[in-house]
Amino acid sequence: MYKALIIDDEPLARELIKTLLKPHTQIQVAGECADGFEGFKTIQEQKPDLIFLDIQMPKVTGFEMLELLDTPPAVIFTTAFDEYAIKAFETQAIDYILKPITRERFDKAVNKWLAKAASDQKAAITMPEHSPIEGYQHRIVVKDNSTIKIVPAGDIHYIEANDDYVKIFTKDGWFLKKSTLTHIEATLDPKQFVRVHRSYLVPVSQLSKIEPYEKESHIALLHCGSKVLVSKSGLAKLKTLLGW
Amino acid sequence: MLNFNKHIHWIFVLLIPAGAIKYAFLLNGVQGFSWDLCVVDTLANLALAALSIWVIIILIKAYPTKVTAYTYSVMLSIGMAAVTVILLKLGLKLYYNQPFYEEYHRWFTGSLFVRVIFYCLLYSWIATNTALRKTIAALDSRFQQQTDTQNLLREAELFKLRQQLQPHFLYNSLNSISALILTEPDKAQEMIGKLSDFLRGSVKRDAEDHISLKEEMNYLESYLAIESVRFGDRLKVEYELHVGKEKTVPPFLLQPLLENAIKFGLYGQTGQVLITFNIHEQDGMVFITITNPFDATSTPPKGTGFGLEGVARRLFLMYARTDLLETHKQDNIFTTILKIPQHV
Repeated sequence: MYKALIIDDEPLARELIKTLLKPHTQIQVAGECADGFEGFKTIQEQKPDLIFLDIQMPKVTGFEMLELLDTPPAVIFTTAFDEYAIKAFETQAIDYILKPITRERFDKAVNKWLAKAASDQKAAITMPEHSPIEGYQHRIVVKDNSTIKIVPAGDIHYIEANDDYVKIFTKDGWFLKKSTLTHIEATLDPKQFVRVHRSYLVPVSQLSKIEPYEKESHIALLHCGSKVLVSKSGLAKLKTLLGW
Repeated sequence: MLNFNKHIHWIFVLLIPAGAIKYAFLLNGVQGFSWDLCVVDTLANLALAALSIWVIIILIKAYPTKVTAYTYSVMLSIGMAAVTVILLKLGLKLYYNQPFYEEYHRWFTGSLFVRVIFYCLLYSWIATNTALRKTIAALDSRFQQQTDTQNLLREAELFKLRQQLQPHFLYNSLNSISALILTEPDKAQEMIGKLSDFLRGSVKRDAEDHISLKEEMNYLESYLAIESVRFGDRLKVEYELHVGKEKTVPPFLLQPLLENAIKFGLYGQTGQVLITFNIHEQDGMVFITITNPFDATSTPPKGTGFGLEGVARRLFLMYARTDLLETHKQDNIFTTILKIPQHV
């Protein structure tokens, strides 16, 4: 018996998926969630094998929720927006069903997953490395213990590369996120965030002063009081952006 | 006055024969030349002047030049004046070649300078006048073309903005109906009715500039009915109407604003969302105030209606004003105020 979870903000949309799942007796609906917060929590508690995920949802999108999961379950996206399909398949989603959902299309997607699950292929979710289609993000979604926290771009002091993680320093302390600095850099507005060093991404608004450090590098003083290293190429980037 | 200006060149046409006759009489009376000589001189002048004017007008109309129209006209006039006078001199010299006309030719040579000046002025006047008319005609046609283009553009833009009713709403509604068909067929049928009302409202009013508030409210109600089926208890809309339903509003302005408020409200927070909607009259305008809860940290939902810019753009195209749409953010409440001038 497989466990499935339905995450959609419209009650009737969840109802439809539940109804369409009934003939698939080997799949049991373990729960329903109306938004990404609930979804995130329930996935960690229930450890479902499969989730039906809407993309546009309150507060956090389906993609953002997936990004926070360490071991995401198999995903079938259900949405009225066809423009997310490419991104969805880049996350190695099982399928991408457009609303309104028909039984035929739904069964096809579920059977596809069942075949995959039977051959015991782990459907590993990987998040795409490049920036999302819908332009630059104005926030970063992070995990704070077992809840989701949304960090507005304006609250970020700086971001530091930390092995497989990035450490996001904000006015409310720091958060770890499993991502690369290059990926984060690509999702944020390059007019506001500058990669001043291999290990540092800094919002321009945070810069207070730049001083020479060693012979090839500089050091930037931030409004929050922290200091970050600025490489030679980082300094050049700042110069073009700020028009020295 | 305008009419007079338009026909002023006819006075000139009348002045020419009058001037010519006067000239002939002067030649005879003051200089004492024979009538035969006076008439030939006058007619030769007239004929050459007419020919030159014709050439000048044709040249100016037919050959566009990079030189300023007026410089070109004056240069042409000076040239033609010189040609006219030289031809006159040579022609008359050949025609009256007897020694008897010696005195006449001496007088003619003495008057050459005056003649050149006279023809210069005459031709310049006609040439610049022609050039001016040509420029005005060109400007007129360009202006007309620009107006036509602008009108077309405006029409096209209005049409496009009206058409931007996003299909996602439709797809999601159909998905909800699909669910209802399996569980509650009666409710599904009811929702199909509402959706049809809404679509009918969207399609049929395309050609109208203004519709009654009553019609618009019916349209909004069918829209809200669908949204409340889709979102269930999460969506709560309160509305107050303080104006007569006979007031008019442009179609497709209120619904996008309401849609915007609902989307921002629903995607900005979890749990129940309250949207308020108030219509009242002030300073001869209909004020529509919509509020929704708002969360600065959430990404605005994508592709939902044509949003505020579309509404602002349409207001500008319709009323040529940019002050008819206002928005405020306060304490996580987003307020949109739309003003519709009456009696436009």
